[in-house]
Amino acid sequence: MTTAIPFTVPSFSLSGGLPVVARSRPGPEILAARLVIRGGSGADPRHGRGAHQLLAGTMTRGCGPLDADALADLVEGAGAALRAEAHEDSLVLGLKCAATDTPDLLPLLLAMTRRPLLAPDQVAIERQLNLQTLQRQKEDPYQLAHDQLLRQLYGEGPYGHDPLGVEGELKAISADQLGDLAAGLGRQGAVLVLSGTLSDNLQSLLEDSLEGLPWTTHLPLASTEGAPPHAFTGVPAAGGSLMALEQDTEQLVLMLGCPTVPLGHPDALPLRLLQTHLGLGMSSRLFVVMREERGLAYDVGVSHPARCGAAPFVMHLSTSADRAEEATTCLLEEWRRLLEEPLDPAALELARAKYIGQDAMGRQTCAQIAERLALVLSHGLPADHVERCLARAAELDGTALQQAARRWLPQASLSLVGPAPALASATAAWEAAGGMDLSRSRTPA
Amino acid sequence: MPSPSRCCGPLLPGLEQPNRRVLANGAELVSLDLSEAPLICLDFWCRAGSVFEAGSESGMAHFLEHMVFKGSHSLAAGEFDRRIEALGGSSNAATGFDDVHYHVLIPPRAAPEALELLLDLVLEPRLEGEAFAMERQVVLEELAQSEDQPEEVAVQQLLAMACPGHAYGLPILGRREALLAHEPEAMAAFHQRLYGGGRCVLALAGALAGTDLESRAAEGALASLDPLAGPPPLDPLRVQPGERRLELPRLEAARLLMAWGQPPARDLHGVMGGDLATSLLAEGRRSRLVARLREQLQLVESVDLDLHPMECGSLALLEAVCDPDDLPAVRAAIHTVWEEVMAEPVLAPEWSRVRRLVTNSYRFGMEAPGNVAGLIGTGHLWGRYESLEAPLEAIDAWDPETLRAEALASLDPRRAAVLEAVPA
Repeated sequence: MTTAIPFTVPSFSLSGGLPVVARSRPGPEILAARLVIRGGSGADPRHGRGAHQLLAGTMTRGCGPLDADALADLVEGAGAALRAEAHEDSLVLGLKCAATDTPDLLPLLLAMTRRPLLAPDQVAIERQLNLQTLQRQKEDPYQLAHDQLLRQLYGEGPYGHDPLGVEGELKAISADQLGDLAAGLGRQGAVLVLSGTLSDNLQSLLEDSLEGLPWTTHLPLASTEGAPPHAFTGVPAAGGSLMALEQDTEQLVLMLGCPTVPLGHPDALPLRLLQTHLGLGMSSRLFVVMREERGLAYDVGVSHPARCGAAPFVMHLSTSADRAEEATTCLLEEWRRLLEEPLDPAALELARAKYIGQDAMGRQTCAQIAERLALVLSHGLPADHVERCLARAAELDGTALQQAARRWLPQASLSLVGPAPALASATAAWEAAGGMDLSRSRTPA
Repeated sequence: MPSPSRCCGPLLPGLEQPNRRVLANGAELVSLDLSEAPLICLDFWCRAGSVFEAGSESGMAHFLEHMVFKGSHSLAAGEFDRRIEALGGSSNAATGFDDVHYHVLIPPRAAPEALELLLDLVLEPRLEGEAFAMERQVVLEELAQSEDQPEEVAVQQLLAMACPGHAYGLPILGRREALLAHEPEAMAAFHQRLYGGGRCVLALAGALAGTDLESRAAEGALASLDPLAGPPPLDPLRVQPGERRLELPRLEAARLLMAWGQPPARDLHGVMGGDLATSLLAEGRRSRLVARLREQLQLVESVDLDLHPMECGSLALLEAVCDPDDLPAVRAAIHTVWEEVMAEPVLAPEWSRVRRLVTNSYRFGMEAPGNVAGLIGTGHLWGRYESLEAPLEAIDAWDPETLRAEALASLDPRRAAVLEAVPA
């Protein structure tokens, strides 16, 4: 593990400040590009939830001199893939194309950002598609449980809704509002990462596409606070809540989780190792205990996405309705174990090995390389953030992980979706366990 | 008409052709060096998909794939996963209609150990009674989870009506009653019958230069397999046209599902024609169906049409998501689009667009070792030894007129099995 370069200098910057990092990679002649602009669905306007995703989708529907059809003709005519979507903390524009098409296609990322057309008829189409997707997502019990849990953890706050938005608010967002959002892109920073077969004139190609109008932006800054970056309304529900939604399904979906820390926080690494221990791969604790030893579930795991604010840490599984009580009790026991017992050295060693292995898994294609590098840079972290974490992981022991768990996982909320009898059994198990408020077992500071 | 030209420069720069080696018992090894890949993929393929199940064996191929991970004669339950993941690797498996495969992604230095573990695991499963009962629970949970997704229920119903009397019409997960009746002895017999030399291929892809993986593989457990012959010819698929309407609880939007029979996977020319035709109709915003149904008429949230290459006969599957009231309009628009494409020549810009979409999709798939191992593994498993460029050359062999007369003509909506699924 080398940490020789403390902070990767961008390959170059464009007029106005956009940092561009280019990594050459041999292999098939492909270019993958990822432009990450801070400010995503978490920064949706009050009463305008869904605005950033609507903006991102409409950016692909015309920019500069190209209307929606002309833009699609250019991209699809080159057999390329171009997408724009809102994540919680940023807008993400991704391009994958044959390297020879770089001159025609790479400038589109900047044109979409700086000169989106946002034609009202195209906004209307995109809005209608997003509304339909929101509706269809309700077919998926996992989606319902997840949406419910977000409301439990974040209330009306930035991470409380799906990036697609909230139906009533999405209907009311105007094309003018999108124009205002587009004009502010880059104020919180942005970064462009390229990976693959790089052409020689990248800098002039990108500079020319700004057409003499510099884009004022900068490398994003780090945030290490334990709360979402800009809560605008309400307070996340106090920890330890239970919510249940009745659905006529065979299985009960359970999600148990709480908000934790941003990717740049010192405790992000111990929490990542705990997630790896619990939920990554077929040797993981939850997989072994709940699936291999009890046959409770087919799908069981832990989700813990990287966030600039208080990232959720969520255990999830779905089980037959008649096993709801056993599954709930078992899930709560596993959460409690994180707080009450340090990881034994063998389990910690396995978690470290899997964490290192994951890093290689995420570097198999140009697109993956660009995605991972853009992620850390967009969080205001150094390019060698992963290498630093790999080195630090060797020094953390089970007690350090337990302490991080006690700091960030003392309370959890349970979200249930399933048939009424299963909801009742799971609720009884939750109440018998005294909910998930373990603050009394916290060590004195 | 100008002669077809290569539109995409050097097709696959830097790639060698795969190495092939046949062992005495009929098992095959195929490998491809990808010097830049950070991981090696070890991918064991066997002609043991659900199509080889007897009537009473419903779900056995997939259940066995689960049981394989419950330990072998020399590996305890869970030991394989723990050791592979401790080496920085990961593993998984998948059962299809035609075949099953077990794969490991592993850093090069650990690949020899992982290879030994994988072959040990797959070739000598323990199939112990208590683990069998436990894993049956997991498979039943998998079935329940799938049945809670109304879209998956609808697709299963479409296949049942499109492929009557054929294994492709039956669920890979199996019927619940059959799963409850299965016994370890019957599973052992299934394994014995199908996991033999002439039916297995081990594919290796990644930074292989400097490793001795191929010779290790040739000398190890793979060579000790019984020399079972390959399977007899499979039952050809004949898709049954027809119509059905189905009410499904918990469905939020209607689905129009359509299935057409297409040339089998061994017919590379036909498969690439199917890829070109389905891309022309439904890949990207400017494709015929997306442009008409989603962008212009705004009748659907999405419309997808994909070719699924399979050994007995491929399937082209269409899915449109729309309001239930719009189903007749959606069907009429699909019919009109097809009639238009059959009536007017495909012009140069559209032809170029479609060729580049299909070509790039193939080229982009040559990056990750898992994809490459899957591609060469499944090809060799079914006796297809074409070069890596062959699919690209097959694209070049098509012209707009032939595509219309053959591939597009085969997607006549009147020849499809059609299922309308609506909210109950």
